[in-house]
Amino acid sequence: MLLPRFEFHEPKTLDEACQIMAAFGVKAKLIAGGTDLMVNMKKKLVTPSHVVSIGRLEELKTTENADTVVKIGACFTVADLAESAAINQTLSALGAGARALGTPLVRNLATIGGNLGSARPAADLPPSLMAYGARVVLASSKGKREVALDGFFVGPGFTEIQPDEILSEVHVNRPPAGAGAGYVNLGIRKAQDCNLVNVASFLALDSDGKTIKDARIVMGCVGPTPLLSPEAEKLLIGEKPSPSLFEKASLAAMGDSCPIDDFRGCGEYKRDMIGVLTRRTLAIALDEAQNRH
Amino acid sequence: MTKLIHLTINDKPYDVAVAANQTLADLLRDQLRLTGLKKGCEMGDCGSCTVIMDGKAVNSCLVLAMQADGRAITTIEGLQTDDGLHSVQKAFVEKGAIQCGFCSPGMILSAKSLLDKNPSPDETQIRAAIAGNLCRCTGYQKIIEAIQSVKR
Repeated sequence: MLLPRFEFHEPKTLDEACQIMAAFGVKAKLIAGGTDLMVNMKKKLVTPSHVVSIGRLEELKTTENADTVVKIGACFTVADLAESAAINQTLSALGAGARALGTPLVRNLATIGGNLGSARPAADLPPSLMAYGARVVLASSKGKREVALDGFFVGPGFTEIQPDEILSEVHVNRPPAGAGAGYVNLGIRKAQDCNLVNVASFLALDSDGKTIKDARIVMGCVGPTPLLSPEAEKLLIGEKPSPSLFEKASLAAMGDSCPIDDFRGCGEYKRDMIGVLTRRTLAIALDEAQNRH
Repeated sequence: MTKLIHLTINDKPYDVAVAANQTLADLLRDQLRLTGLKKGCEMGDCGSCTVIMDGKAVNSCLVLAMQADGRAITTIEGLQTDDGLHSVQKAFVEKGAIQCGFCSPGMILSAKSLLDKNPSPDETQIRAAIAGNLCRCTGYQKIIEAIQSVKR
């Protein structure tokens, strides 16, 4: 299967990479793990005249686990995320998403930046990162800007990243004591499968540990981008966690979802599964929140 | 666009001229005649092109040859030594884990990279480790038995 013809660039620094992107813009594509771009180039869905490899830039592969913010370099691989003890302890739902992604062979190549930048509505990492309120850093030759993931995804395959920009880092506020999160994905198979539905929930309890102070529910595969459920969040905040409250929240989340019928499943089934996964992820989040209190 | 790259394949250094749009799978098979790895789907789905790159099992159809510059690659040809087949290869032969053989090179390399990290995996860990390698003869049971039987 032939790839289109292109020029290959391997800059030594992020600054140099930014200059190349500034020069070639829409004619260039970034490659790190290549698990998305290589497939799309083989299918001739994208035919860049320049491919810029950033997967070996050390400055994009570091993580920093500071007191308030966890910073993850865009080229940190999904396998490293899945296996990182620090990530799994601090951001357990992100670890769960990383373990659910693709196969061991794909996880060894794929990167966190690529999973966000490719903006597939069924991707495994966006729901938990959005639930944690993560932000991405977009670097260009003009400087850096930080964008909240809530407003980052524009549509399937489209994001806020401009043609001259490079997603360089993911920033996540360290969840406070008494907070927890959960991620569950549903597919036909356990590996190597596009998700049918995926949900991440985040809960933060009050200092007394009895009332929900903050809640975020993010649903994948049921809209052009991962969707928040404002109705479910409204129901949860200020209430005491209980199975009946989570049941009500899951019905609200179903109402906020907007699934389509396709060859993977009908919309009605996906909406029902949003309810099931919302309940399950809320239970996981509550369990973690209570254990961290 | 071509470029000279330097890489280590099965512990031997190579200098090769590669095209920008050439994959690592094509470099290994067509140019270097290491035809043990197979090209099945060429989309990263089937795992028949598996190689170990810098200690990690990857789909060589998803890696550009130029991205492999400076790296160490192990293909199925690199497992055999003067003493004979690698223990994982022997186990596959002894347990009848090879049917048509198309998935075997990838399956064996995925198994090897699991066993290098975890010498006594349970069945769930084995199934998770070979999740990226499809056997269309559906001979998974024998493959799992073979991996479990590897002497450590």
